[in-house]
Amino acid sequence: MSSDMGYRGPWGWSTSIWVAAPSVGVLSGEPIMTLKVALVGCGKIADGHVEEIQKMPERARIVGVCDREFLMAEQLATRYGILGKYDDYGRMLEKEHPDVVHITTPPESHLLLARMAIDAGCHVFVEKPLALNLRDAEALLAYATDAGKKLTIGYTYLFDPPALRMRELLVSGIIGEVVHVDSWFGYSLTGPFGTAILADMDHWVRKMPGQLFQNNIDHLLNKLVEFMDDEDPEIQATAWRRRTNARDDVRDEMPDELRLTFVGKRTSAHGTFTSHARPAAHFVRVYGDKNIAHVDYVSRTVTLEPGPTLPSAIGRLVPAFGQAWSFLEEAGRNSAAFARGDFQFFSGLNRLIAMFYDSIIDGTPLPISTRDILRVSRWMDRIFAQIAERGRR
Amino acid sequence: MKILVTGATGFLGGSVVERLLAHGERDIRVIARSGSRRDRIELAASRYPEARIEYVPANLASRTDAIGAVADVDVVYHLAASMKGAPADMFLNTVVATKYLLEAFGAGRKGRLVLVSSFSVYGVAKLPRGSVVDEGTPLETHPEMRDVYGQAKLRQDQLCRESVGRFIKELVTLRPGVIYGEGGGALSARVGLNLFGLYLALGGKNLLPLSFVENCAEAIVIAGQAATAAGEVYNVLDDDLPTCDAYLVDYKRHVESLRSIPVPYPVLVTLSRGLERYHRWSKGQLPAVFTPYKVATTWGGNRFDNGKIKKLGWRQLVSTQEGMRRTFDWFGRCA
Repeated sequence: MSSDMGYRGPWGWSTSIWVAAPSVGVLSGEPIMTLKVALVGCGKIADGHVEEIQKMPERARIVGVCDREFLMAEQLATRYGILGKYDDYGRMLEKEHPDVVHITTPPESHLLLARMAIDAGCHVFVEKPLALNLRDAEALLAYATDAGKKLTIGYTYLFDPPALRMRELLVSGIIGEVVHVDSWFGYSLTGPFGTAILADMDHWVRKMPGQLFQNNIDHLLNKLVEFMDDEDPEIQATAWRRRTNARDDVRDEMPDELRLTFVGKRTSAHGTFTSHARPAAHFVRVYGDKNIAHVDYVSRTVTLEPGPTLPSAIGRLVPAFGQAWSFLEEAGRNSAAFARGDFQFFSGLNRLIAMFYDSIIDGTPLPISTRDILRVSRWMDRIFAQIAERGRR
Repeated sequence: MKILVTGATGFLGGSVVERLLAHGERDIRVIARSGSRRDRIELAASRYPEARIEYVPANLASRTDAIGAVADVDVVYHLAASMKGAPADMFLNTVVATKYLLEAFGAGRKGRLVLVSSFSVYGVAKLPRGSVVDEGTPLETHPEMRDVYGQAKLRQDQLCRESVGRFIKELVTLRPGVIYGEGGGALSARVGLNLFGLYLALGGKNLLPLSFVENCAEAIVIAGQAATAAGEVYNVLDDDLPTCDAYLVDYKRHVESLRSIPVPYPVLVTLSRGLERYHRWSKGQLPAVFTPYKVATTWGGNRFDNGKIKKLGWRQLVSTQEGMRRTFDWFGRCA
């Protein structure tokens, strides 16, 4: 894990209180600050952002939402009781004076919209992927840094409960030094979004250099940069189309399966993006020199691979009980969280937003380092270049 | 006269095309995105070889596609709507798509739009249980308290009314109840909901406002062709309606045995209050599928009136008894 990541304590949740304030209110007699937040891009993921921001009224309140199609801004504002709704982004920035802008538009617009927000004095939360390529990502991050504004990206799964527990195991030394990592991201092309991508040649996903992969493999790669300190590990990428022709035209050409191999100085990794394996799994396996951890983001479990500790057939019999016990413990932990009302769908997003806001308000480190964002972007560029090169052959 | 039918490859769309042909229309353009089923339209068209059926692979959420779809069209039968998916997707494909369609129509002939709306646009939550809902019943004033489908259909309905004179010359609005038939949905939420394998029978003695798909299509076409229907709204539902319980009993007898449990209305209201409180306390850990407001709108036992569409000359083509038999036979074969 890179040293400048902003995790605090034992990878836990920080509840630091701040004092300085652009917008000041009163809570329990203490002056407090709430950030004014605006959002641009009122598509599917915007719901998640709005819901999680509205769960932290002590930190922030949403003052406006914007979409180039006003009806989309209106529907989001209506459903969540937000007063400001716009189809003119510049006007929203000018009228609402937000402290933070969440950018949840398609990626080709991220650079422009983030620069406009920074010019208006805002910090920015940008959905993944940050930009269409490394050059734009570097330009955007430099722009924010030069302006003294903070920027983070929607790597939400890094802050999901199983990721936090996995890091506790790492810190405690139970896993040991990491030798290898498997990062698996299953996807469905049969849902409404996947169907829209397949049917529409003009869909924004198809216009990105990495097409379907570029919209998803941030979630695969950002879990690897935690374990690989290399700037430029060896990367081998293989992509192909597994689905059968549905339309017998150019729309059928988009690849939907991707296999990645990374070799760094100390750690290697495999990455799998699959649109066909079922169920659509989402996990990381961390192979340490002491233990192997399986981190499942769907069932939110973290379990250790049991090794034989007893001889002969008994040694083959006992580990399954240990594994069963591990899953039982995880089920109990999750049930307890559910009973507390702390088993939310967007737990990671909530944690990430809160840490980002804390970094703005009380100056704590950013939740995700600039270096890690750029490494993900660089690796993506290399992956898509390899895919394109093989496609030309 | 050239007619455009949106949503033509959907459950209702095939029947609307069939009824349009039966009522003498011979120049019909249908929006059929690639991969969608055309068999029902082609079957209907085969009986009218002189008719011209033109397939257009348009995506109405695209302004460019919408412009191409309405070119030279005199009447649009607008059936397309999103039935499921994320809220943003449903709004995009129902409301924004309608806006683009209206704008495109307005740039051309500014003809008649026949909108297939829904009962879900009525504001019935505050009405006494069992009230009769007719076309004069006020529309929903708290869309944020309804499900996303209802919100989207309400906004679509409003958008079309605001467009009269600006983008369209005339608007005819039809508000069907529960459209059913071969190829449709099995059990409406008005009857009940499946909860982890146990079917909660929520409708009880409420009349189920059914509209057999062919009857519904007939109403749409009759209103669409009537000069006097301009600016009017019509509820569409059949006569001789069963109660929700009776429908469920028949379904279980003819289609599949369901483990079901009746939930009386007062119990449902109490449960919904509890769920709403839990939803708030847990900050949305579980969705508020039931809220007292949603319960009142869906299971409040309103009765719907179809007198107005009858006065226009609509008659039920298929009796409710026959419609249910055909529907359950179809589901039985599929099960």
